[in-house]
Amino acid sequence: MKLKKVLGIESTAHTWSVGIIGFDGTVYSLVNDMYIPEKGGIHPALVKEQHLNNFMNIINQALLKANISIHDVDLIAFSKSPGLGPILKIGAQAARMLTQLLDIPIVAVNHCIAHIEIGRLMCKIEDPLTLYVSGGNTIVSAYESGRYQIFGETLDIPIGNLLDSFARDIGLSHPGGPKIEKLAFKSNKYLSLPYVVKGMDLSFSGLYTAAKKLLESKDYKKKYNLNDVAYSLQETAFAMLTEVTERALAHTEKKEILLTGGVAANKRLQEMIKYISAEHGARFEVVPLKYAGDNGAMIGWTGLLRYEAEGGHTVLETQINPKERMDQITIPWRD
Amino acid sequence: MIDGIVIEKLFHKGAEASLFYGHWFGKEVIFKIRSPKIYRIEKLDKKIRIIRTLNEARALIKVKNYGVNVPQVYEIDTENSTIVMKYIKGEKLKDFMHSIEVDKKKQIFNEIGKFIAILHKNGHIHGDITTSNIIITPIQEIFIIDFGLHNYSDSVEDKSVDLHLFKRVLLSSHGTDYKNCFDAFLGGYSTEYGRAKVNESQEIIRNMIKIETRGRYIKKEDRK
Repeated sequence: MKLKKVLGIESTAHTWSVGIIGFDGTVYSLVNDMYIPEKGGIHPALVKEQHLNNFMNIINQALLKANISIHDVDLIAFSKSPGLGPILKIGAQAARMLTQLLDIPIVAVNHCIAHIEIGRLMCKIEDPLTLYVSGGNTIVSAYESGRYQIFGETLDIPIGNLLDSFARDIGLSHPGGPKIEKLAFKSNKYLSLPYVVKGMDLSFSGLYTAAKKLLESKDYKKKYNLNDVAYSLQETAFAMLTEVTERALAHTEKKEILLTGGVAANKRLQEMIKYISAEHGARFEVVPLKYAGDNGAMIGWTGLLRYEAEGGHTVLETQINPKERMDQITIPWRD
Repeated sequence: MIDGIVIEKLFHKGAEASLFYGHWFGKEVIFKIRSPKIYRIEKLDKKIRIIRTLNEARALIKVKNYGVNVPQVYEIDTENSTIVMKYIKGEKLKDFMHSIEVDKKKQIFNEIGKFIAILHKNGHIHGDITTSNIIITPIQEIFIIDFGLHNYSDSVEDKSVDLHLFKRVLLSSHGTDYKNCFDAFLGGYSTEYGRAKVNESQEIIRNMIKIETRGRYIKKEDRK
């Protein structure tokens, strides 16, 4: 019998991605199309236009790469939450079209849960505490009583948004995170910035304002330079993330830590999380970059986990939900 | 080692500090030591450790005067970011939860609510109310510990956040018990707070519900 395959569609923000993945976890193909703004941030209407122009092309490329026909697909999965409404809709509509055209089941997937599930698959990790850091989310989560519970999260802006916004202010193009990492690497002069941890939650908006003020100060370029501000910003923000992760680790007593999301690529953050993992005797894994950022393979994989546990959704159940929290969703495939 | 001060064994390794059991001039004590965090750069690390040590010790001393059960502070050493405090024999509420009846739980959470109301009435925000930071002694006295994230505030917002964080911990760690426990907690809180200012405690609780709806991706919490 031939192995069944799922086609996963990721469409929550600036990445339109299609992944084809086998029911055993083999990834046959993964094709991404990313909207990169010429200036400013992600404008939903412009992203929508790009995705609408390209979505069929990317699906075809993914099929071609996997060397299969669209009729070899056995299940469609798509991201239904959380994300930007107009963009979620495109993924949902493409998925509904395919499921009706091909007469195969459809599964709607929460994007944040997909990040954890692909990490568990790729890193062969069982029951981790996950630090999920990206442009849209900053969440410390672990599985407990049937759900991926949120132990800590940002109270205002996500870490990736902090880095991207700051980068934009200093004239660096999107994505800003890697560029700030390079600047920070050239300094070791720490300037005092607000460090805001509330229980296991974090706040970055005051830090952003304070970092911006450092650039407007009369001492800027006299007593300190841009590298020093980037360094201080990164050190403060990442120390906050590491502290809440360590708190959640002590609280949940998990034995594994998973680092994922776009900001997981940052070497300094990896180093800090690795340090606390070692200190608590926990195994540390970073999701491979290809699967740490937004991707269709994670949606496909999570879709098939749900499908195998409780079957597909009806088309009526595939409504998008831009504001759904991951801890509102039960996880029937664990325990 | 100074005569009379003996650090005997590691008692608990927390996220932020290590607790050592020992003796201090004949008294059973806990040495709460905030060791350097190597992942943080030294300048930031030292600042955080000194501020939190001083802040926690001062808070413990102050709130004890209001009648809240907290460990007695014996000595503060900012250089080594260490607080020496009375050893409280007992069990963490987190571990104690599953071994008690619903009625007893309600009673305990009611008492906790009263203590938190006393803190809030007097302008103290605990900052990290969790079931790991509450100790139940063998004679079932309740002690509030770990004032590491304590701050001073009289704003409704800060008090609401304090309650909100506790609610979140109950939801995520003790889902099935959440409703009984949190209702009892709010009951105790309102009763104690209300003696002075009924309206304020109601405003704090209302604002706490507002905070939830303000959070990222949240609908009103509708779990039973």
